[in-house]
Amino acid sequence: MLDVQDIVTAYGKIEALKGVSLAVAEGRITCLLGPNGAGKTTLMYSIAGVLKPRRGTIRLGGVDITGQSPSAVVARGLALVPENRLVFPQMSVAENLEAGAYQRRDAAEVATDIERMYARFPRLKERHAQLAGTLSGGEQQMLAVARALMSRPRILLMDEPSLGLAPLIVEEIFRIVAELNKDGVTIFLVEQNVHMALKVAHHFYLMEQGRVTFSGEPGKLAEDEVIQRAYLGTSRQTSGDTTSSHKPG
Amino acid sequence: MVALDLAQNTLDGLMVGSSYALLAIGFTLIFGVMRRLNLAYGPTIMAGVYLGTAAFISLGAPILVVLAIVILGASLVGLYVERLCFRPFGEGARTASMVASFALWMQIEEAAMHLLPRHMNPFPALVASAPLEIGPLMLRADHLVMLAATLLIAGAATYLLARTKLGLAIRAVIDQPRAAAIVGIDVERVMMLTFVLASAIGGIAGFLIAATDAQVTAMIGMWATTKGLVAMMLGGLGSVKGAIAGGLLLGVLEAHAQWFLGPQVRDMVAWGLLFVLLAFWPGGLMGAKALDRTMAVGRRV
Repeated sequence: MLDVQDIVTAYGKIEALKGVSLAVAEGRITCLLGPNGAGKTTLMYSIAGVLKPRRGTIRLGGVDITGQSPSAVVARGLALVPENRLVFPQMSVAENLEAGAYQRRDAAEVATDIERMYARFPRLKERHAQLAGTLSGGEQQMLAVARALMSRPRILLMDEPSLGLAPLIVEEIFRIVAELNKDGVTIFLVEQNVHMALKVAHHFYLMEQGRVTFSGEPGKLAEDEVIQRAYLGTSRQTSGDTTSSHKPG
Repeated sequence: MVALDLAQNTLDGLMVGSSYALLAIGFTLIFGVMRRLNLAYGPTIMAGVYLGTAAFISLGAPILVVLAIVILGASLVGLYVERLCFRPFGEGARTASMVASFALWMQIEEAAMHLLPRHMNPFPALVASAPLEIGPLMLRADHLVMLAATLLIAGAATYLLARTKLGLAIRAVIDQPRAAAIVGIDVERVMMLTFVLASAIGGIAGFLIAATDAQVTAMIGMWATTKGLVAMMLGGLGSVKGAIAGGLLLGVLEAHAQWFLGPQVRDMVAWGLLFVLLAFWPGGLMGAKALDRTMAVGRRV
């Protein structure tokens, strides 16, 4: 469904992605793990059209979407739940959902979808008239997911949905991820929470310093090692060895 | 009769202030979507007004045609400013946009001087009738038209922002531009439309001001930028309600200052107010709460 080939994205002279290739299969949950600064969010923004890659191609359902605007990418059926949620803080919960359906022209269907979101996320219904900026972190995350779903995406990109949330809410987020997938939504998930991610993922990638360093199914790599590399990166480990070798004696 | 003076000044101030309110509505819309200051806002209005008065002088255009030319002219010049000063630079280069808009200010003034070299030019008057008398108070008929026009446009702007799809997009871009792009809003197009719309609203304000004076000079450009800026700051950035309150308040304060302290003091009020505001209430009198809320959201993220 989503096919990323040799993507290079740079901020000025610094290449955050140094030739990333990966694929997300239709109907599955694919996870991307890796330490801070590995380039995970840069990759998400490159796919969604917010950042323009310098090189490489991104295909969505066989169509080349490399370098297209975010609105063109949304029109192709991709939705992003961005890092830090980025809800519209001065707009009500209901308006946030309407904004998520911005490209749709079927007003009546949009209204039914909003009701569906309220059924799936009852907290959002309770707070539908409240400004999104006044919601708790967990509620904002639900809203960000619901907002993304309002465009009726074929594929949902989620960038660290569990970031900064309490364990119970993290569990709920992952339950929702599994539910959505069961309903047929393809999911590409960036996570720091390795344990939870490996529980739901069908396939996962490890990314370190702008490159994909491992690809496989959960169970192919011991969870300890994934955690080690996802949090610290292999390079950190190497530099640790170097430091110790400098010790006198 | 100090009480009567106070009442008359307040009434006059509200009328003049309604034109400031219109200026501030346009200004605050541009600031909201761009997060950058458009110094060429007043000169854009001046360009529209000059095109209108040129048609009036050379072709004897009737007042409604002049109004249409002013609105169209201000919109087109607004588009020109957006293309040259705002589109090419991202939000990361705010200073570049501001300096570029200053350069266009000079350019527009220069062009206006070539179009109509005389310092003062006639402009069609709005209403020629005698002032209305309400008990002991006097009220100019054209001021009443100005107030009505302001209320009408403020109402239309509020409706547009609150009830239409374009309004939803504009508010989304003001609120969280990156998220607006992510949900599929064409942010650049929304910015362009808002800019042109705001310039058109400014054009209407410029028309009303020139028509109540029945004359116009190129100074109206700088005048509109400063009055609009102070009224916008008074009300707090990025709110239509705040812009109206700020405009009316500035008008009333100026009217009292002119009456009690003399006409020389009138313009000093605006500058003094801007200084006090920036020093003590940088969020504006009505915007402070909104600013707090935004900062609270920022902290949570």
